[in-house]
Amino acid sequence: MADKINLEIVTPTKVVLNTEVDEVAAPGALGEFGVLPGHVPFITTLNPGLVKYSEGSSEKSFFIPGGIFNVEGDKAKILTESAELPSDIDSTEANQQLEDIQNLIEGFSGSKKELAELNKKLKLAEARVEAS
Amino acid sequence: MASLKQISNKISSVKGTRRIMSAMKLIAAVKLQKAQSILMSYRPYSDSYLDIAKGLANNSDESLHPLLRNSEEKKSLNIVFMTSDRGLCGSFNSSLIRKIETFIKTETKGYEKVIITSIGRKGRDHFKKSDLEQAGSHDGITERNYENYTKNIASEIAGNFVGGKTDEVMLVYNYFKSALTQEMQMEKLLPIPRTQSSGEEEKQGEFIFEPNKNEVLKYVLSNYVEVRVQRALLESVTSEHGSRMTAMDNATRNADSVVRNLTLLFNKTRQASITTELMDIVNGTEALRKGGGMD
Repeated sequence: MADKINLEIVTPTKVVLNTEVDEVAAPGALGEFGVLPGHVPFITTLNPGLVKYSEGSSEKSFFIPGGIFNVEGDKAKILTESAELPSDIDSTEANQQLEDIQNLIEGFSGSKKELAELNKKLKLAEARVEAS
Repeated sequence: MASLKQISNKISSVKGTRRIMSAMKLIAAVKLQKAQSILMSYRPYSDSYLDIAKGLANNSDESLHPLLRNSEEKKSLNIVFMTSDRGLCGSFNSSLIRKIETFIKTETKGYEKVIITSIGRKGRDHFKKSDLEQAGSHDGITERNYENYTKNIASEIAGNFVGGKTDEVMLVYNYFKSALTQEMQMEKLLPIPRTQSSGEEEKQGEFIFEPNKNEVLKYVLSNYVEVRVQRALLESVTSEHGSRMTAMDNATRNADSVVRNLTLLFNKTRQASITTELMDIVNGTEALRKGGGMD
């Protein structure tokens, strides 16, 4: 059994990461989960949040707005719309975004579908503030 | 023989055309570079995405998702094809259109009707006169604004399929191999292709899905058409620039050789006229001298 796992984070504009790691943790649809080398084949959808991985003794992370996580053999792949380093997120800007969406939801009078869309955005903004 | 004036006019007009073509080549090269870098970074994402989607589709019952509907009786075929808006790009459009026409003539006997969705003005204009039903047409797509079109086009195609207006969708576009070669692709887009091999099924059966298989399937397939369309759009746009660059490069070189030949002709003609003039002068003085001698 391999003692490392190959983690790849791919977005439409870039292969953000392709490296050997010891462990990956990601915000799955049913809560955060961790993957070690030798995991069984596994596919899940992701919630907005931090993907954490450890390389040797250092631990690093990326903020993702959701996506798909796929483990097969000793390869883990994350497909997501974007990936930011938490240190690159401007916390005042993220807070502002969250506030804007909260205000939008408060004075909202549209269809249920649109509201669900807004709630999704709210969750994303909250997670982004938390990550910053 | 043409006069000197005519030849020199012709030379300057060919030179003018050459200048335009070489400028177009440079523009195409710049656009190609931009489009190519977008395409190259999109390929890994779309490839992985489609791998997962196909794996999931392979292992799922067709009743689980509307995009998997594989009707026994395929009544209408939707051909979605991508051409360019503008010409001067070699055989980029013509070979694609020719291939589609042959395909429609020979391969579509089993369908009640063929519906086409044209992307790009050249293809739309070509099929305007035909009696094929047009499901939609889009133009004005470039490497800068493709994202705005993707959603619309994808939801139109998927909507027609889910709504039962079409039973099968084919996607035709030029795949970008290099600036010199583009390969035409004709692929099945919907229903999502499934290969029924038992080994594959077993392998997929071992997967754990979270929250559950249906949710994952729904999530992944909701973007399937979009990813395919966006990928094809990018391939097509990049191929167009590559094809135009090559065509304009050839044209520039042709113009060079035309200018060379014309210059040669110009010089010969000038030499001939000088010779004629000299002969006139010599003859004249000779005649005068002879006349004088008699005096």
